Amino acid sequence: MTSTKKSVVVAGVAIAGLALGACGGGTGAGTSAGASGGSGQEVKTIKLVAAEYSKDHTKAFWDAFAKTYNQKTGYTLDVQVVSWDNIDQQSSTMIQNNQAPDILNLNAYASYAKDGLLYDSDTVLPAAVKSDILDTFVKYGTYQGKFYGFPDLSSARAFFYNKTLFKQAGINEPPKTWAELEDDAKKITALGNGNVGYALPLGPEESQGEFSMWLFNNGGTWKDGTKWTINSDKNVETLTFLKKLADEKVTQNNPARTNRADAFDLFKSGKAGMVIGFSPLAGALDADKKVDYGVAPFPSNDGSPSKTFGVTDYLMAFKKPGNEKAVKAFYDLYYQPDQVNTFIKAEGFLPVTKSGVQQFQSDPKLKVYLDTLPNAQLTPTDDPTWDKVKLAVQQNLGGGINGSPKATLDGLQKTAENGG
Amino acid sequence: MTESTTVTPDPATTAGSGRGRSRMPSRAGRRRRAGRIGQVHPLVALLWLAPALALILGVVLYPAIKLFDASRGEYSITGLRKGDAGWTNYTKVLEHPDLGTVLRNTVVWVVAVVAITIVLSLALAQFLSKSFPGRRFVRWAVIIPWAASLVITSQLFVLLYDYNYGIINHVLLSLHLIGQPIDFLGDDSWTMFSMVVVGVFVSLPFTIFVFIAGLGAIPEDVMEAATVDGASPWQRYRNITLPLMRPALMIATVLNVIYVFNSFPIVYTLNDRNPGYLHDTTITFMYKLAFKSQEKDVGMSAAAGIFNVVLILVVVGIYLKIINWREETSR
Repeated sequence: MTSTKKSVVVAGVAIAGLALGACGGGTGAGTSAGASGGSGQEVKTIKLVAAEYSKDHTKAFWDAFAKTYNQKTGYTLDVQVVSWDNIDQQSSTMIQNNQAPDILNLNAYASYAKDGLLYDSDTVLPAAVKSDILDTFVKYGTYQGKFYGFPDLSSARAFFYNKTLFKQAGINEPPKTWAELEDDAKKITALGNGNVGYALPLGPEESQGEFSMWLFNNGGTWKDGTKWTINSDKNVETLTFLKKLADEKVTQNNPARTNRADAFDLFKSGKAGMVIGFSPLAGALDADKKVDYGVAPFPSNDGSPSKTFGVTDYLMAFKKPGNEKAVKAFYDLYYQPDQVNTFIKAEGFLPVTKSGVQQFQSDPKLKVYLDTLPNAQLTPTDDPTWDKVKLAVQQNLGGGINGSPKATLDGLQKTAENGG
Repeated sequence: MTESTTVTPDPATTAGSGRGRSRMPSRAGRRRRAGRIGQVHPLVALLWLAPALALILGVVLYPAIKLFDASRGEYSITGLRKGDAGWTNYTKVLEHPDLGTVLRNTVVWVVAVVAITIVLSLALAQFLSKSFPGRRFVRWAVIIPWAASLVITSQLFVLLYDYNYGIINHVLLSLHLIGQPIDFLGDDSWTMFSMVVVGVFVSLPFTIFVFIAGLGAIPEDVMEAATVDGASPWQRYRNITLPLMRPALMIATVLNVIYVFNSFPIVYTLNDRNPGYLHDTTITFMYKLAFKSQEKDVGMSAAAGIFNVVLILVVVGIYLKIINWREETSR
């Protein structure tokens, strides 16, 4: 009696264990035969896996786009919209299972180009489109002399400040140098009542973005030519300054463990004096109508002209037999001004084409970003190593606030030099 | 028990004239009937078992084989398989500098959550098995944390714990118990505690109901006899209730260990702001290896997955062995 009961328990446990292991296996399945597309035959239906920028607009845009695409070209576009939280996992699983989509929307491309999975612009991008894309983005989208990373939209960071808090603290205009910023942060923190001077997010979500903005405005870089410069004197100076802000308690509590979304929430609640934001944050603030805010160029360490950190995401084209024509037709349509700019406008981001910049000029709110966009500095997205360095930065940069800035950056430099 | 009252007498045995003659055919008849009922052709049996077998093969065995296969492959950061890696993924996991931290976290997490859950559930089950007005309502209320999605529960706790607006800090500050808010999720000395609280919260309902069932199965007369013999309430609990609850305790412990060990959403959601692997368990470690860390290596993650399965089987095996050993010695 007891022995049968126990064996049932053991069997149950074994099966449960295996099943749970199998759940883990769902993400780790190997190469299975499931490739779509016959060899040589022209493909009539292609698949797009798109990242979800917003619940309201992304799916609506791509569905309408698929309809137009079908009417104009006769090809069919299958659209799958995936949230940013899941897209790395999903795309990785698709590639493992040999079921890559024809077009994938992601924030990195170089590793895919390195693995030989992508078409370059010569095959799938109409020449007129290539010459319309902003030169900066062509430069950062080029891996080993070929253009693979076709940008879908871009964003540039800017300095957001809370006008109400500035007035209360007796500050007349946004800071131009880091010393002024530190001073202003102290004044706002001194107001008490839970107000923080500067919201500094160095948590894992996006710390490479925050740090890029700071280090570019201290004349630093991640990579200079072919040499990694993560632990350069300039960058150590930058991180040391951020540590100083944290030590002086003019930032929110525990900046090393604060994600960007939490810093934005703090600014949206009117408790933070300054934060690095981008156009979607402005959109959210305008919708709330709670915070009276201003947007200005980010101050530089020595008062020299401000530099901005730009970001693009990519629409990459996967090499699959017979899909060249359909994919080319996709890009031809997407980069039509009435498509790409409609998408970008709805999502609240910035254009990627020269014609787009002109079209958006009329919007006074975007002027501060557009002026800086053509000269925006990006992270070294054209180097596949960066895809790993970025993850290392996200996981480790915060350590420099609680520990030694130099040691943290030395560690990251070593990671980069070892190829990630 | 039921046989003696409901089985109708066999006509062959009751109506026979000669006892010797009547018994023989009756035995033969029984044997024939048993043959017809208990034994079927192996192929027929296979047919009946086929759905279950297909399920086990497809849902358990095939993915497990795939997992093993993936753990022996060399993968690019994109997920492309570049070739065979032999056992290097396994050695890379074993040599990972944070493995010690992760294993320690896992032990603390599983032991703390399961132990606290069991102790609290024993008390609460005792309470809920007494009859009192509104008991049905309370029992239903207990199920709710179980019915809610773990991600939602975890996200709710993130809001409750929040440093700036969290209600827990708000209450503690208003009561003047603390002068500064507590950073429940960002302060290393609090993070594990905060996660354990949520872990216990979501494990309680299931455990309580297992124990209520266990308490219901204890015969009244044994209790009565003990009371008549003059046993104190504590003696009755210690010497009658707990021993008779052993099957329930065993099931609750084994299932909770597996469930808590494999719990992903709580640890991942409450810990998402913390860099590195400071508060990760082996399950979130496995996930981060595949998708979030600088390794971003599916093969290594699959190897960690194999270790996870082996680890939990070993732990449960040892537990059952100990239970068995006690059973042997107590006789």
